[in-house]
Amino acid sequence: MIKIEDLNVRIGQRNILTNINIEIEDGKWTCLVGPNGAGKTTLLKSLLGSQAYSGSIADSGVEVFKNHDRNVAFVPQHPQIPIGMSVSEYVMLGRSKRDGWGNESNKSRNLVADILQVTGLFGMQSQFVSQLSGGEMQRALIARALVQEPTLILLDEPTSALDLHHQIAVLNNIELLKESGVTIISTMHDITLAAMYAEKIVVMHQGKVLLNGTSDFVIHSPELKTAFENRINVFTLDSGRPVIVAKKDLSN
Amino acid sequence: MKILKSKGHESVLAPIWNWKITAFAAALLFFVGILAISFGPVSLGFTEIIKTLFGLPGGLTGQDRTLLIDLRLPRALLAALVGAALATSGAVYQTVFRNPLADPYLLGAAAGAGLGATIALTSAGANLYSLLPIFAFFGAILAVLVSFFISGKFFAEPNSLLLSGIAVGSFATAVQTYLQQRNSSSLRPVYSWILGELTVANWQVVTWSSIYILIALIILITVSKQLDGLMLTDEEAYSLGINPNKLRVIAVVAATLATATAVSASGLIGFVGIVVPHLVRGITHRVTNRGLLTIALVGASFLVLADLGARTLLSPAELPIGVITAFVGAPFFLVVLRKKRLVNQ
Amino acid sequence: MFKVKPALIKVVVATLAFSFLALNPTQAATAIPKRIISLSPSATEILYAIGAGNQVIAVDDLSNYPSTAPITKLSAFSPNVEAIMNYKPDLIILNADATKALEVKAALEKLKIKVFLERAPLDLKQAYLEITALGRATGKISGAQSVISDMKIKISAAIKKGKTSKKITFFHELDNTLYSATSDTFIGKVYQDFKLVNVADKAATADSAGYPQLQSEYVIKSNPKIVFLADAQYGESLETLSKRAGWSGIAAVKNKNVVSLPEDIPSRWGPRLVDFYEFIASSIAKVK
Repeated sequence: MIKIEDLNVRIGQRNILTNINIEIEDGKWTCLVGPNGAGKTTLLKSLLGSQAYSGSIADSGVEVFKNHDRNVAFVPQHPQIPIGMSVSEYVMLGRSKRDGWGNESNKSRNLVADILQVTGLFGMQSQFVSQLSGGEMQRALIARALVQEPTLILLDEPTSALDLHHQIAVLNNIELLKESGVTIISTMHDITLAAMYAEKIVVMHQGKVLLNGTSDFVIHSPELKTAFENRINVFTLDSGRPVIVAKKDLSN
Repeated sequence: MKILKSKGHESVLAPIWNWKITAFAAALLFFVGILAISFGPVSLGFTEIIKTLFGLPGGLTGQDRTLLIDLRLPRALLAALVGAALATSGAVYQTVFRNPLADPYLLGAAAGAGLGATIALTSAGANLYSLLPIFAFFGAILAVLVSFFISGKFFAEPNSLLLSGIAVGSFATAVQTYLQQRNSSSLRPVYSWILGELTVANWQVVTWSSIYILIALIILITVSKQLDGLMLTDEEAYSLGINPNKLRVIAVVAATLATATAVSASGLIGFVGIVVPHLVRGITHRVTNRGLLTIALVGASFLVLADLGARTLLSPAELPIGVITAFVGAPFFLVVLRKKRLVNQ
Repeated sequence: MFKVKPALIKVVVATLAFSFLALNPTQAATAIPKRIISLSPSATEILYAIGAGNQVIAVDDLSNYPSTAPITKLSAFSPNVEAIMNYKPDLIILNADATKALEVKAALEKLKIKVFLERAPLDLKQAYLEITALGRATGKISGAQSVISDMKIKISAAIKKGKTSKKITFFHELDNTLYSATSDTFIGKVYQDFKLVNVADKAATADSAGYPQLQSEYVIKSNPKIVFLADAQYGESLETLSKRAGWSGIAAVKNKNVVSLPEDIPSRWGPRLVDFYEFIASSIAKVK
């Protein structure tokens, strides 16, 4: 379990996160939702351990800041794309946590080959990463996270740049991680998708957490509407799946 | 903890780095080195050269021996050291700044060294000529430090460091030009220093420059594997176990040390720092920094060959070595730019 | 401990000293170099003038005088140690202004080749000293002395001829961007011997080596009576000067006292210095 107590993050003169107190369960998929500027990405970076904070973030009782003993995968929204690097080389980078930098074992090479198959990238293994389409790039990022065999995976807007078909494909791939007990924390603009995949949802607004609970509970809560300034509608399909859309008329 | 069960088949992925390439580069350097010391205006027998090097009887004697041991050998060694230093630090800068056009001089090091050299040559009174390498060395280091100081935001935006390097470089060049104008007798020596010269290398130069350059190279090659992490965003690198800020500082400091030493020993030799890394990456189809040792070896061979050309093409005159590296480097540079456009499509 | 007679000691010491001298002759009696390479155009001229010409086996690519000198591709300013060694010389006259002159000297001496480091003289007196030194290095001391006395006689004759009670200002032009030479330079001192007034002297602090760049306005204002063109070989002449804005009003241009200096002569400080002095003397005579 990840326990966050009295978390405050200040960058420059601005308070990005204020007084956050939540618990995130292991092995489950938790999704952070909220409008732009809510602090979702900053919370993600704090959970990674690279962002300085005051307060406490304890993963299994150990403070996370600059703690390299954990095996955490981070999938950014805008990755830095290395020039001239092949897809297989790029995905192989994920093994550096387990193997150490610069050593690739045969086991690693086999695993990378398998993951490339699973994510549909095997045929492109020699292509340059810079030549991939948006969807392929996202799959490469996921593949790299998968080969890392992490205990926690943090994803920042994993589907924003993708078309519908690829969005589902990527999220299905991530879902596979749950079989191995990996804790998944993601940020997502599309709350409908969040509801489809995440077991827990955390609603954020202007640096604070408004609500933290199961998907069903949070989707139908007034806090969700408050976070988006009442500009969303929540519908439920016959199958029971919720669909969240923005209101066309913004005059509330 | 497994994500997927490995199917147990032979991996069909090509290895990320083949160490046979590095071994080949080392052998190439050795071969090129022997070639370089075998040629020159004075012809020496090849077998005699080998015998002299290995201390076997029947080697060269007298003037010929002095020529080989005290002139050609230190010069070839210096070319190898400087070539390795420039190629390696160019490759490191390209990784740290995520810019394939970066070269070892871009943080103002070249201009700083030039200013240092000019101050040594134009200071009234004392004959500071013998101290020129020291002035050039500290000029380079100071320029880079000032760039860091002005930039301040290095850790957030490496490119702001590049910009302040340009500003510092321009300023240093302006001061240098002013000093030269007021002391016209320094024009010729500064100009020839700028063109880069390995002429009359001696064992003294080789000794002190090898100490600094080898220290810097050892540091860089030790961290070379982790440098790959700098090609990703800071969070990605962090998640893979790297401290990106600390690594950047170590890399830039070591690379600057190598560059400053190279410049103070041999003047400004251009293009090696850009051409050689891309040459190695192009041939091996790998951008991993595991190739840094290979880049160092190839850089050494490159400059030894260029120096051979400098000595023999217009014999008995000497072509400045900077001219040869530019001749090879400039068209090559254009090819790299074209490739970059293609790669980013 | 036994007592030794002091007189005996004196005899022994004297014998040792004498035999030492006999076996190691003084500098003056060492072997005369027979395979000299001159890497300085001025030194080349001097060597031939003092009679050491037949000891010279090669001269640098700029040593075009005398025409009988064995000119090669060796560079005076970027000496190539190996190429030099190939000629198997026993003495090198090396220009102290050459690139890495000191390192080149060290390398050559390591190869057991003697090096004479020739420094460009700052004035006439130093020039005579250099000529004497060259004479000593090549075993032509008497030749050097006669060249020097010849120069002295001819130069003072030229100075006498050029003597005039008038104050004559002049401008020595190095190139068409108006670089000049002050009286701190060797060439400036030659003009000074004639009591000519150098307009560039006002800018003496601008360049430590004595070669400041003057402003066109300033040259016009100082109104020199003679202009000496060291860039005549590059196309400058009375015509081109009169075309420059404001220059047609300068006394030197109006009275056609623009003198084109012959190539090389102003930059060589050997025996042909005499020609330069005589040239200036006749130019002064033309100034009314």
